[in-house]
Amino acid sequence: MTEATVMPLKPAPSRRSGPRRLDRPRLKLASLFLLAPAGILLPALFILPVCYAIYLGFTNLQLVGLHSVHYRFTGWANIAFMLSDASFYQSLWVTALFVVGSGAVGSTLLGLVLAIALQQAMPALRMAVSGLAILAWTLPPTTIALVWIASASPSGPIAAMMADMKADPLYDHALLIVSAANAWSLAGLAMIMFSAALRNVPKDMIEAGTLEGASSVQRMMRITLPFLKPTIVTSALLMTLLTFGNFTLIYLMTAGGPDNATNILPVYSYLEGFKFFNLGYSALLGNIIVIFSALLGSVFVFLGQSRR
Amino acid sequence: MLNPGAKASKESDSGAPVPNPVSGLSFEKVFSNLTIAVLGVFFAIPMLWLVLASVDRRATYALKLPLLTFANFLAALQPENLGALGNSIIMSVIATVVGTVVAFLAAYSFSRHYIPWKGPVLLAILFLSGVPITVLIVPMYEMFSYAGWLSLVPTAILLAVTAMPFQIYLIKNFIDAIPLDLEEAAFIEKAGTLRVLRSVVVPMTMPGLASAAIFGFVNAWGSFLLPVVLISDVDQQTAPERLYGFMSSTSVNYGGIAAYSIIYSLPVVLLYVLMSRHFKAGFVLGGAVR
Repeated sequence: MTEATVMPLKPAPSRRSGPRRLDRPRLKLASLFLLAPAGILLPALFILPVCYAIYLGFTNLQLVGLHSVHYRFTGWANIAFMLSDASFYQSLWVTALFVVGSGAVGSTLLGLVLAIALQQAMPALRMAVSGLAILAWTLPPTTIALVWIASASPSGPIAAMMADMKADPLYDHALLIVSAANAWSLAGLAMIMFSAALRNVPKDMIEAGTLEGASSVQRMMRITLPFLKPTIVTSALLMTLLTFGNFTLIYLMTAGGPDNATNILPVYSYLEGFKFFNLGYSALLGNIIVIFSALLGSVFVFLGQSRR
Repeated sequence: MLNPGAKASKESDSGAPVPNPVSGLSFEKVFSNLTIAVLGVFFAIPMLWLVLASVDRRATYALKLPLLTFANFLAALQPENLGALGNSIIMSVIATVVGTVVAFLAAYSFSRHYIPWKGPVLLAILFLSGVPITVLIVPMYEMFSYAGWLSLVPTAILLAVTAMPFQIYLIKNFIDAIPLDLEEAAFIEKAGTLRVLRSVVVPMTMPGLASAAIFGFVNAWGSFLLPVVLISDVDQQTAPERLYGFMSSTSVNYGGIAAYSIIYSLPVVLLYVLMSRHFKAGFVLGGAVR
């Protein structure tokens, strides 16, 4: 940088290759140093493993036995197996139900209803319930799984409410229970997002609506909800992403059972690899997960940019 | 409890001539309060079981009044259980510090410097933050077992890396928002880059760094899958793994499990409570992606 200030008397030999033009931004040495740690760690421990997994998805790698060391590229064999695997199709269906039902719709709706109803609730009740919802969101996944296993056990409160002490909700309605647990744990975040958005709904619009004689339902449908629409979309997408990554909850509560009823893709991938030892097939299922999350991420980015 | 008629009429005097103030508002209020009460029960019941069972001498999965005792907490604080908590603390602290520091350095560079293909690189980082961790277990298991790294510290570093993409984004947004003037003044005073970072940028991005650190800590603290697969030594077991061991063992001490999971959950919950007091805004997304 300092040489540039001392201009040589005769013109530089070749102006075109001259790197000292100050009107053009250049990569500084300092930025290389600052970027180096992340630039090493992220590729080494994130991007490389994802690429390695893509390769492993086309091999016959096993966790134990002969193929745990001497595995080889098997081409389309894993894909052919996947396309004829009934468990895979069931897993796709369960994933779709869980992610859309519990994530995109369930958590968002629960958070939206909470945020709207909280506006009109009594202060003490509002403090208590919003506190509970946020507490549920902050709990670690293992704790969430534990309290929901207890609640849905044959002697637990949900069975008691069904007035049938022989019922085993976690076994009989496994997908419903894990969906409820997931929505329970995410609704607090959605509620925070919607509460912030509700504060930006102009008060005078609501008052004008009231003056014109709109009922509370009409004010909700015609004024408040249209204002919340962008937040609803953002929340639905975020909840979808978070639900899609929610391996721990389902694995701890049901381990994909009973009879694959809650076998979402991440759980299926884990079980294939570390219970049935088919690491290669497990990696292929992981690749399918990456493809789906990339699609979801693209929608997220696209919507974020089109709003600006 | 659900008789808000008096309050309803009080509120209606803000918007002058409301057509039918009392009946319209009071129905709305009663309905809202009822909804909130029902949802409150939905949120409370699972947690109520946890609290009651933790002080119950004969705890089961049923929701009932406890026979008060603190034996469960004593059982939960046995040396092996404390060891698992200690491992969780070591792992989470390493993951938090490594993740936050590295993400901060990169975020500063992304925010202030010229970097070729900055847009695509940032977009790639954003994509990484949405990739579910599950897909990493097979390749990481292969890589770590090949390198002989199936233990606590490498797993902590990996957890730091899984949190890093979101942390870079979070901190970059905070740095983008602070004005350039102070840094420029410091550079004119001949402060080096590191000095500027330490004395100017860090103090001004404290809320962002705190959010990123909380995110990193919560991410590592709650992580179940990676430690289970990538830590082979039983002595290095983390708390969620131990909790899972309790849950799936044959003779279940429900009270002990409840007490242990309360102790295990407390740090994260306290972190949120304390931080939400300090930084009203901006920290909210801190735990968005567990």
